[in-house]
Amino acid sequence: MSDTDINVEDIDAAGADAAVAVADATTDHAEDHGHDDHGHEEHYTSLGLSNMKLAMWLFLGSECLLFGALISAYLLSKTRFIIELVAGNPNVLAGIRDGENESLVQEMIAEASVEPIFDIPFTSLSSFILLMSSLTMVLAHKSVSEGNYKNLRIWLATTMLLGATFMAGQVYEFTTFYREGLTYNGTVFGTAFYTLTGFHGAHVTGGLIMLGSLLFLSTRNKMQKDRAETVELVGLYWHFVDIVWVLIFTIVYLIP
Amino acid sequence: MAIIEEPLALPSGEGPEKASNPMGAFSRPRKPTGLKDWLTTVDHKKIGIMYGTAAMFFLLWGGVPALLLRLQLARPNQGLLSGDTYNQIFTMHGTVMIFLVVMPIGAAFANYLLPLQVGARDVAFPRINAFSFWVFLAGGLMLNTSWFLGGGADGGWFNYAPNNGITYSPGTGIDFWNIGLLIVGFGSLTGAVNLITTVLNMRAPGMGWMRMPIFVWMTLVTQFLLLFAIPVLTVAQLLLLFDRQFDGNFFNVAQGADPLLWQHLFWIFGHPEVYLMILPAFGVVSEVIPTFARKPIFGYPFMVFSGIAIGFMGWGVWAHHMFVSGIGPLSVTAFSVATMFIAVPTGVKILNWLATLWGGKLILNTAMLFAIGLVTQFTLGGVSGVTHAIAPSDTQQTDTYYIVAHFHYVLFGGALFGFFSGFYFWWPKVFGYKLNEKIGKWNFWSMVLGFNLTFGPMHILGLQGMPRRMQTYDVSQGFSTWNMVATIGSFILGFATLSILYNAVYSYNAWRRGGRRNVGADPWDARTIEWSIQSPTPEHNFDVTPTVTSLDDFWHRKYQENDNGVLRRVATGEDLAQPGERGNVHLPAPSYWPIFLAFSLPVIGYGLIYSLWLCIPGIALVMTAMYGWSLEPADDLDDDSHHGDHDDHATELAGV
Amino acid sequence: MATTASDHGHDVAHDDHEHHPTAKTYWITFVLLAILTAVEVAWSYLGLSGPALVVPLILMMVVKFLIVGGVFMHLQTDLKVLNGYWFTLTFGTAVVLAVCVYIIVFAAFRWDI
Ligand code: HEM
Ligand SMILES: [Cu+2]
Repeated sequence: MSDTDINVEDIDAAGADAAVAVADATTDHAEDHGHDDHGHEEHYTSLGLSNMKLAMWLFLGSECLLFGALISAYLLSKTRFIIELVAGNPNVLAGIRDGENESLVQEMIAEASVEPIFDIPFTSLSSFILLMSSLTMVLAHKSVSEGNYKNLRIWLATTMLLGATFMAGQVYEFTTFYREGLTYNGTVFGTAFYTLTGFHGAHVTGGLIMLGSLLFLSTRNKMQKDRAETVELVGLYWHFVDIVWVLIFTIVYLIP
Repeated sequence: MAIIEEPLALPSGEGPEKASNPMGAFSRPRKPTGLKDWLTTVDHKKIGIMYGTAAMFFLLWGGVPALLLRLQLARPNQGLLSGDTYNQIFTMHGTVMIFLVVMPIGAAFANYLLPLQVGARDVAFPRINAFSFWVFLAGGLMLNTSWFLGGGADGGWFNYAPNNGITYSPGTGIDFWNIGLLIVGFGSLTGAVNLITTVLNMRAPGMGWMRMPIFVWMTLVTQFLLLFAIPVLTVAQLLLLFDRQFDGNFFNVAQGADPLLWQHLFWIFGHPEVYLMILPAFGVVSEVIPTFARKPIFGYPFMVFSGIAIGFMGWGVWAHHMFVSGIGPLSVTAFSVATMFIAVPTGVKILNWLATLWGGKLILNTAMLFAIGLVTQFTLGGVSGVTHAIAPSDTQQTDTYYIVAHFHYVLFGGALFGFFSGFYFWWPKVFGYKLNEKIGKWNFWSMVLGFNLTFGPMHILGLQGMPRRMQTYDVSQGFSTWNMVATIGSFILGFATLSILYNAVYSYNAWRRGGRRNVGADPWDARTIEWSIQSPTPEHNFDVTPTVTSLDDFWHRKYQENDNGVLRRVATGEDLAQPGERGNVHLPAPSYWPIFLAFSLPVIGYGLIYSLWLCIPGIALVMTAMYGWSLEPADDLDDDSHHGDHDDHATELAGV
Repeated sequence: MATTASDHGHDVAHDDHEHHPTAKTYWITFVLLAILTAVEVAWSYLGLSGPALVVPLILMMVVKFLIVGGVFMHLQTDLKVLNGYWFTLTFGTAVVLAVCVYIIVFAAFRWDI
């Protein structure tokens, strides 16, 4: 038993050492900001980071591989689709490989009238809207960490509104394309296009649900300063979805 | 995946409003007992045990049918199994073994040991941990219900396109395979996020990077591999899902699609997958060998960095599974070279184990024997691996029994031997008594014998040209003798493997009859801090969070140099061990929602297969579960034993 | 329960909001992004083809990616917080991994290498 006691003392001393080391490492950042009216107590973590935030970043890292795979599946399917389209014409086929004959290919695609002529101005607008929602999201987080709950609600609601507008735009786009003859199972291109953009849409919808929950909690005064991190986490997710759209917008819409 | 997207799925215990409890619309189960305890537990130790138990069940479930395959091949021209049944059995055998046996056993060790080895109270997110387990079980069970609902998948464990399409596989087998594994994948993903966070952020004070046990390191690499590899498989399977359920065209050759896309995606996942199956076993033997060689691990930094190197290089070799698929010459060359390189860090590990053994005072008990078994058997598999890294040579070997021999040597002789070593080693820590050594030795030697008899001859068969996945063969082909040997071996191996279960029952009874006397904290004179607490592990793990001052911290507290520089024992493990009596530790409260959410997912799965209408209640269940999850009180309110700290996860220097 | 370590943990664990950019920075960032988007769209209307079209578009895409990640997702400011680089590290690894792996796949298909 006495051994154990000695041990505990050892631990005590070393523990203090460790704590001092941590403190040393942080002196330049660690301003004490009295944000915890609830007696909020943080705990020792090895990296000094929040578990939740670390987890969210890990999850987003994983999502990179997910969207990467979807985007490459789209690109490959599109390439195959074009090759299939012009397969009857060996010259063009060779041309595609060399990167020439693009106008001819474009013509053929237009003739086949299966790839929708993207409505670039329309999509640009909805991209812009999604970008804007990132701004409002980040302002929402800013508000909550400053304790301005009214602004929090305003910005959350705006973000939701913008996100919903984006989704409405996507629904509109899908229906238009569908009427123009681009069906889900008609061509490889159709399948790939709807899957990729639809998957992104599903992510936006998931984000909307989260934002809705935040807003609801905030109206009940349950989303306060000490929970600012929750808003930040939802924000991270939301910005990530936005980033993915940045990629999709360029790769799918702008690059023919 | 969904869990993390859910905004309010905070780690149980995040948030300060303990007193006002604004989010607590539901109550959490109070100190349940018996079955309910197991169903609602969020304790990483119980979850670890459940992972192990489920995996052992699936080992039987996937292993017995494999014996049928061997029976069918015992003699030429047999008709025991039809071609169709044969296809289903080998497909389901491979799938079950990889996804429901080897991976979960790795998860079992990780769950049980990681928090103990890093000195934490639990994992970072205990409820998500429970969810990971239940969703694995739910997906695994759903996958296997295909046997009763029209037959299993039959395209091999990698189910190449376009064979997996509706045209060539009109039954529902592939759908079950596809959706079942998608669900299992959620569990791996949430598990990975959870365990990585635990290792990165919840180490005990003083446990720097280079003081982490090798097992922790290997598991960390494994979980990163999972984190990044699972989504790739998820996408491949989603594409297949859209093709099969909604008439998509991703793999529809008639529309010009290229089915090679499937192979790429599958193996981008698949090769990291094989490493994430072996690395936990590497971690296990890296703990066992130093303990019983009575020496520190040789070249600790090399062990660590070779593990990390394997993790990275594992991403650059996937196309070695596709040498004969028609990829271009540049790809073949590059991937061939990369594959040869990946053998280097693997070789470093083997060398370090040998050097650890070298000159050690070896204690050849069962755990040690299995560890040495891994070193030898895995090396054989690694060598055959290098032979098919060489593309021209692989052209001869691929799709023959030579490949079957290779991956059984690495997976059975490697991963499973390592895990058995771990079972024998940590059994006393988990249950408080050792497994019987005598049965253990029988267990080991009969496994080695059966294993080599079964899979050794397959090298020869493969080089003779016997194709893999062939339902039968003719006398004239000259495969008869070795096939008979392999079949005999497989039955020896089957019984040998089972004998660990017999051992468990036997040892349990002996312990019970012997008055349930526990072995004490440190039965092996071991090295890492999980041995500094009582066996079986107290519910709260550590009475006092240890402060780590060196690698193999516990061992250094037992042995120190005296003035003459001679290493001397200064204390026994029992002297140092924490008594495990601290009663007032605040632990995470159990929860109903993880299991509820996990078993809601297959409802959607069945809906996708049979009728989309069923998806509606499925989604409703999932939504209920997610909101229930987030609205449940952050923690158990009535537990007044804690002192204002609502951490069920943070490492605390409790009571200091 | 007040222990030395957890007291300090208190300071450490909460990466400080003081380090996050101001609202003004956010607005400026947003304007920047909007401009970039406008340029992107305009570029696609120039009637260029081949690398002249694709390369600048990709570049602008990457810049937008970095800006959103750096400012809105705080990666840039997190770098200054204790150990905040871990966020960048994990996410960055994933991005690099994804880009490398998928480019190889794409190359294997497109040019039959
Ligand atoms: C020294 C390191 C290794 C090398 C160089 C290597 C090389 C290879 C190669 C080139 C193949 C493809 C053969 C073919 O299909 O033609 C292969 C297949 C395989 N390897 Fe390995 N390997 C190594 C280690 C491992 C490990 C550690 C595992 C698992 C724990 C593993 C499991 C497998 C499996 C399951 C397959 C068969 C996949 C299938 O076609 O079903 N390998 N290996
Ligand atoms: Cu491989």
